[in-house]
Amino acid sequence: MATKSGNATALTVLSPIKNGTMGEISYADITRERCLRLPIHENSPLAKVPNTYLARLFILDDVFYESLPGSDSVFNFSDIFSFFSDQARRDALPKIDHLKSKYLVFSSNFHGDLNEYLAGMWENWTYNDQGIQHDVRYIWEHCVAFDEVTDCNSFISYIKRCQLDASLFFNGSTDDSLQEQLKALYLKQEFTKFVTTHQGKSAIEIQQAFKRFIERVQPENLSGPSWVPGQSNP
Amino acid sequence: MSNIAGKAYAMNVVTPIRWYMVWINRLIFKIALSRPSTLKGLITLSLIHYARWVIIPKDGFPHLHPSQPKENLHYSYMLFFSNFNGSWDQYVDSFTFAIPSGLDLFWKWNIRYPKSVPLTPFHDYIKYNQIDTAHYYSAYPMAASNDVKSAKIVKKALIDFKSASIEKNPDEFLIDYNNLLNELQLEFGEMRPTPIVSLSADAVKQRYLQSQSHHYI
Repeated sequence: MATKSGNATALTVLSPIKNGTMGEISYADITRERCLRLPIHENSPLAKVPNTYLARLFILDDVFYESLPGSDSVFNFSDIFSFFSDQARRDALPKIDHLKSKYLVFSSNFHGDLNEYLAGMWENWTYNDQGIQHDVRYIWEHCVAFDEVTDCNSFISYIKRCQLDASLFFNGSTDDSLQEQLKALYLKQEFTKFVTTHQGKSAIEIQQAFKRFIERVQPENLSGPSWVPGQSNP
Repeated sequence: MSNIAGKAYAMNVVTPIRWYMVWINRLIFKIALSRPSTLKGLITLSLIHYARWVIIPKDGFPHLHPSQPKENLHYSYMLFFSNFNGSWDQYVDSFTFAIPSGLDLFWKWNIRYPKSVPLTPFHDYIKYNQIDTAHYYSAYPMAASNDVKSAKIVKKALIDFKSASIEKNPDEFLIDYNNLLNELQLEFGEMRPTPIVSLSADAVKQRYLQSQSHHYI
């Protein structure tokens, strides 16, 4: 399936937002505002969702059409038909589409199984905005039929109803677990520092320091010293 | 709006495609998947973390409830979502310079696709069809895709070296240590917010702080 590349998964979700307003503000704008107000980096609720590599939220208000004068046909037979029929000329002109709903788009690149990931979203997505704690329902609250979501299982099946398969998923990174990736980045950072600070020292000094270094960084311990998800400062 | 999370940039491009040509695109993607060598060009673009192409048939937008109006579209739509490092220009230009023909093959059937060369019409096309991200999250905002890949190499080498050499006598240890550094010299590098990216990242932070200062609508 194109949605997976090794152990990495591409989740693409389009959830229709209810048409209508709350007061003077449309549900789509309320949802957009909620997305914009999400805390960033290590404070993002996505930092709490296990195995999220990179993820985004945005509102698809409409589809776009970059129109230029001229025919929309693959072949220009319309140039000949138009000579005989004005309808043929008009049919060949570009069409303009508009969506009837606005969509909340959630796109995530993560490690592992979809069900486990979505359960992780349901259980761990939490953040604070002006003293009020919100869970994952707050973002999807105004989406069509989201009021049917009452527990983890109904959340998983809701998201799956909104899911679109990728035709092609390109993994230009690794498909290791996030814990593994973060530990590796931590080790790269720490070992680089170690190497530069011990340049030119004697063999015994470097060996002793290296032993202390290994004790400190614990290379095989994934839960040990490491970077935290979303860490934005060294 | 925040297309940036540390060193990563989120690009969303939505382009119309003739519905009767979708099968060709799907076929091209299928071939690309079944023959990984066709993606060699993309792999050389090592600034990409993850990218995807999703085709929504004209009647394929999620419809969840009778109260939701059904879409009535003339075209199908192709979504392209990418996570990459560096600036917008660097990314779009590197696509043009590295894999112009591959790019044309993927977008060939999309309406008004101008081809990837020359650059200016291609820039215009992407800009016109690009949608900004409202919230973007990276698990490692300080790391580029190359950092993630090289960190994996460093971790393995470090663990192997520890097992093989840590208890040797100091002189032999030093020989192995120097060999290790020699092997890993392309993988090292301290990660920090870089100047150019941090300017943008700082703008994201300022916007976020500003949004927090006014009360929610």
